[in-house]
Amino acid sequence: MKNQKLMTALAAVVLACAVTACRGTSQTQQDAAITVTDMLGREITLEEPADRVVALTPSDCEILYAIGAGDTLVGRGQYCDYPAEVSEVPAVQSGSETNIEEILALDPQILIMSTMSQTEEQAAQLEEAGIQVVISDAQDIDGVYTAIEMIGKLMGKDQEAAAVVNDMKTTFARIEADASGDGSETIYFEVSPLEYGLWTAGSHTFMDEAAQMIGLTNCFADVEGWGEISEEQVLERDPDYIMTITMYYGEGPTPEEEIAGRPGWENVTAVKNGAILNLTDDELSRPAPRLTEGVKKLYDFVYGENAEE
Amino acid sequence: MKRRTDRLSVPELAGFSAVTLAVLCLCVCMGSVKVPLGATLAVFRDEIGALLGLAERPAGLEASIIWSVRLPRVLCVAVTGASLALAGAAMQGLLKNPLADGSTLGVSSGAALGAVCAIAFGITFPGLPFAGTMVTAVIFAFLSLLVILSLAYGLDDSLSANTVILIGVIFSMFASSLTSIIVTFAADRIRHITFWTMGSLSGSNYRNALVLAISFAVFGGMIFASGRELNAFAVGEENARNIGVNVRRVRLLILVAASGLIGVCVSVGGCIGFVGLVTPHIVRMVSGPNHRRLLPACALGGASFLMLADLAARMILNPVELPIGVVTSLVGAVVFVVIFYRSRKRG
Repeated sequence: MKNQKLMTALAAVVLACAVTACRGTSQTQQDAAITVTDMLGREITLEEPADRVVALTPSDCEILYAIGAGDTLVGRGQYCDYPAEVSEVPAVQSGSETNIEEILALDPQILIMSTMSQTEEQAAQLEEAGIQVVISDAQDIDGVYTAIEMIGKLMGKDQEAAAVVNDMKTTFARIEADASGDGSETIYFEVSPLEYGLWTAGSHTFMDEAAQMIGLTNCFADVEGWGEISEEQVLERDPDYIMTITMYYGEGPTPEEEIAGRPGWENVTAVKNGAILNLTDDELSRPAPRLTEGVKKLYDFVYGENAEE
Repeated sequence: MKRRTDRLSVPELAGFSAVTLAVLCLCVCMGSVKVPLGATLAVFRDEIGALLGLAERPAGLEASIIWSVRLPRVLCVAVTGASLALAGAAMQGLLKNPLADGSTLGVSSGAALGAVCAIAFGITFPGLPFAGTMVTAVIFAFLSLLVILSLAYGLDDSLSANTVILIGVIFSMFASSLTSIIVTFAADRIRHITFWTMGSLSGSNYRNALVLAISFAVFGGMIFASGRELNAFAVGEENARNIGVNVRRVRLLILVAASGLIGVCVSVGGCIGFVGLVTPHIVRMVSGPNHRRLLPACALGGASFLMLADLAARMILNPVELPIGVVTSLVGAVVFVVIFYRSRKRG
């Protein structure tokens, strides 16, 4: 009996020790190293949260600032332009002109980029040069959440990232609940104006997701991704709303006026009703937290007047 | 050997015109959106009635599609095709070079560089929003031709085919890299320029068609009037001089006319390759090498070729459109290889 008691006590002590030991080691591991799976499914391990980052894609810069890690940026892609203070960060070439030496000189711990502007070969080449590459590759809004959480983890800003994601989810849920559309009205997204050939955003784009969220149907949902479409098709599909992202340089007609003035477009419902929106700040083109702003603007554009009544 | 008249006979001209007209009708009746033939005809009847003041302008989808979108585009494509083919035929004759064309000589790239400069540096003429790109494109096209030919003359007096093409290709690359440099620096307008250089005749309106038609009438007229001189050049420049052709004047005239045609086309529709190169070769098989026959036939043939290419670009991936240059290069390259191969084997 005595023996048995002793054994139990001993076992309890051993067990307790083991548990503490386990917890202890796991604690130190978590403090010391961060392991993240990037959006190409590759494992990335950092010994500590990154504090020297180069981000080539505009959306990744926006995410870094949104989670309060903007001060870690030591380099940005040349097209990163939001928020305004990002312009103070040294710019590097991105896309097909990515300059490895330029990036090496900035000595970043990680380089965040998307597969949209870079090829996998470029990523491999950068890694061979000793740069830790992290791929963010959001194709839909869920992907944006993943990207924000991944970047948050790399920067040791898990909580901030979770807050940003939560904010986005709440905003989207509210808009979705408020939107009364049943998908019977259609919207046409114009990515490039007539003068350069009409390009639209079809299915599996952020614009398409935004349309669905506010109860509209993208009239070019049969086009996959972005595509150049025929002008005749726009007239035939007769959208109720038109959204253009054409920049206005302050001369000649505004993009809205230009669309309304196109010969043959006078019978399009959106033109008749003056339902043309010009969104010029890339809110709905970039996989970044500002998607909420874009969706909000689209919502106000479609429902704004009714809501005021 | 079959005897050919010095000019296209009336039946021949009627035949070429009929084919072109048939292609034009086909291209107006077919498109991304299906409009029944009866409705198309009704639109034409009503619109022409409205133009004559007999009736109200018809409203509705079909009228918009046929009259406001499809017809102006088909007309622009037709005149562009005619202009490019004519310019190609004239340069092939003038330089005695079967490979001469706006794209192989680097004239198109030069014109594109000019137009890009106009967009990037905001060169405009008050009141004429489109004139800036057009004038600079024409000027650059002409300067490019001057540079290319002076370099070629400097290298070899006889202006052999290979020398001209080689310098043309080099110049083309040079102009393209200058364009890239400008695109790099003009960051805020970059989207404009990249879409523009891809070439697109979608969104053409009647004003574009009118501009193209005027350019065709003026510059094309200059070429048509030089058919006899081009025949002399095709035998050789020495021969032309011997039979009393004012070589310098005619050469300048043709070069100005060809750069005018190409410059205006590029400023409206971007770079469209192979039309000017391939059409004269195809047409020559029917019309023979006499320029007084070849030139009008080429204009009509080029119009038909480009209209059909545009129809393919509009229809193949409906509702998605292909850039027209992709279609012309694809078809043109294959046709050209076949022609080149056959003519080499025969010769």
